[in-house]
Amino acid sequence: MNVDVAIETKGDSPQITETFDTPPATRARGRRPTRSQLLGLASLAIISLVPVPFGDFGYFIGQYATIYAILGLSVVVVTGYAGLISLMPYSFAGIGAMATGAAMASWGWPFWLALPFAAAATVPFALFVGITSVRLKGLYLAIATLTISNALGETFFTWAPVTGGDSGHLVGRPVVGPIDFGSDLAFYLLCLGAVFVLLFMVEGLRTSRMGRAMLAVRDNELEAQALGINVAKTKLVAFVLSGMIAGLGGAFLAQLLISVTPNAFQSPFAEATSLLLVTLVAIGGMDRAIGAFVGAIALVVQQQVFNGFEFFFAFVGIYAAVVLIAFLLFRPGGLVQVGKILAALVRTRPALGISIIAIILVTNIGGAWLILSLS
Amino acid sequence: MSLLRTRDVSIHFGGIAALNEVDIEVEQGEIVGLLGPNGAGKTTLFNVLSGFLKPAWGRILFQGDEISHLLPYERVAAGIGRTFQHVTLFRNLTVYENLLVAQHRHLSSGSFAAMLRLPGWRRDERDAKDRVEEILDVVNLRPWAEAHPTELSYGTTRFLELASVLSLQPKILLLDEPASGIQQKEVEALGPLLKKVRDERGCSILLIEHDMSLLLNASERIYALDFGKIIAEGTPNEVVSNDLVLESYLGRTRRATA
Repeated sequence: MNVDVAIETKGDSPQITETFDTPPATRARGRRPTRSQLLGLASLAIISLVPVPFGDFGYFIGQYATIYAILGLSVVVVTGYAGLISLMPYSFAGIGAMATGAAMASWGWPFWLALPFAAAATVPFALFVGITSVRLKGLYLAIATLTISNALGETFFTWAPVTGGDSGHLVGRPVVGPIDFGSDLAFYLLCLGAVFVLLFMVEGLRTSRMGRAMLAVRDNELEAQALGINVAKTKLVAFVLSGMIAGLGGAFLAQLLISVTPNAFQSPFAEATSLLLVTLVAIGGMDRAIGAFVGAIALVVQQQVFNGFEFFFAFVGIYAAVVLIAFLLFRPGGLVQVGKILAALVRTRPALGISIIAIILVTNIGGAWLILSLS
Repeated sequence: MSLLRTRDVSIHFGGIAALNEVDIEVEQGEIVGLLGPNGAGKTTLFNVLSGFLKPAWGRILFQGDEISHLLPYERVAAGIGRTFQHVTLFRNLTVYENLLVAQHRHLSSGSFAAMLRLPGWRRDERDAKDRVEEILDVVNLRPWAEAHPTELSYGTTRFLELASVLSLQPKILLLDEPASGIQQKEVEALGPLLKKVRDERGCSILLIEHDMSLLLNASERIYALDFGKIIAEGTPNEVVSNDLVLESYLGRTRRATA
């Protein structure tokens, strides 16, 4: 037997490090880049001021964008973080909107009480979706959630005592204590405050035990289990949080529309809008909270630009599909990733980076102006 | 009382016995090897022990308690850590984030605590980061902390995986071919490393390995499997000189030349 040859003893202190590959060039290791954070906050502040010169019309568009950003955040949690393609967000928003409508219009609740109620109202539905589809993934999950969203349109949204029947609810703009949010500016500021609070919260979730569990489940369920993560529970939490955020968005949506009717959340509007929300977040950037904000602005701006066209809706559908596929194929990180790439380019090759940004801005603003002047 | 013990564990895949009345025992602080040709049922046994597969019958006892009904994440909590034959990891997360994910079971704060930045979340994040910083130094992965696993060499990802599973502070470590696909130099360092892990942490190791020198070097006891059955058990020397093992694994030609 030549076993002894195999059992020869090796050196006792292994120098494993020397066999490693060479480290990549020095990276920016700061996990809390305060400078770019400040820059981000500054750009958020500037973007928030964009509606000001357009007056009440600008504020209305601003309210619309911020509410879509809130709905987008619900997609960030369930699809961006946990990797679950759910077509439920707009139905959850509908549940929130109906809960707000019933609470404020029928029961006379104040807005500040209707808000948490709208979030809580989605929880049983989110649990139902989560429990029934916890073993499904990808396309199958998308189809399952589509079916549930469709079924809710035929059941929950036809439940007259809650939805107020076909005429829906008449919800006034919120009044919180002495503050009246009746004016477009005041309500815009309220929506803006809400989206910033939720941005902060969803970004916080990403660097936490449950948030990382979601990212882990998205990347590799098997490994997540092997590292002690309860995959089923993580998915349920993602569904519930996503539902609650969408419910809050729905509460604001009810305030925006003033009158909420259940047919807005029935087939095909519910599914189409949920798909639009997924598109919006894919364009903005799936796995960062800020992606929902960027995506919502991109969506609302292009909707305004193309608003004059008769074939607007058909066009938006095709446009959304093409842009979604393009982003998923080439830039899965969305506009947020594109922005980071451009920022890095400006840092390394300022002339090239700035001219590329200038070309993008000129072609986009010029194109928008051209289309607006044609319509 | 042995740390881990199986009794008559059997599982069938479409009429084929992947595991057939397997009885193994691993003592506290012992390094035990599993030897066998491809398809012998070694990885199946790991899947059964870590809860990814349910055995058709038989019992699995861990520290004297029946654990057959526990789900994979519950077995991690009980103290069973495992790696996979092919490095898995989380490709879209950085090395640092990969190690943070592995801290999951030591943390307790919930989603709302994180979203509202409550003290519980702050404490959790500080603890997790402190531990990861420590691990980065121990396994010398600090230069790659912000890199993604896809940017690392295969050997380095193996060490990252090992670091992740060690962060679970398991009482027993199930390692499925830790040396496959890595450089010879790294393979040679692995044996002493496993012994060091055992000595410093007192954790038992159950090892599947096709690299014979590593398996025979590192293991104190070896079980040989073939067709889902334990065909031999003993010290490395006893097992490799066993006729049944020679026939099934090393092959008769080897015996003729010996």
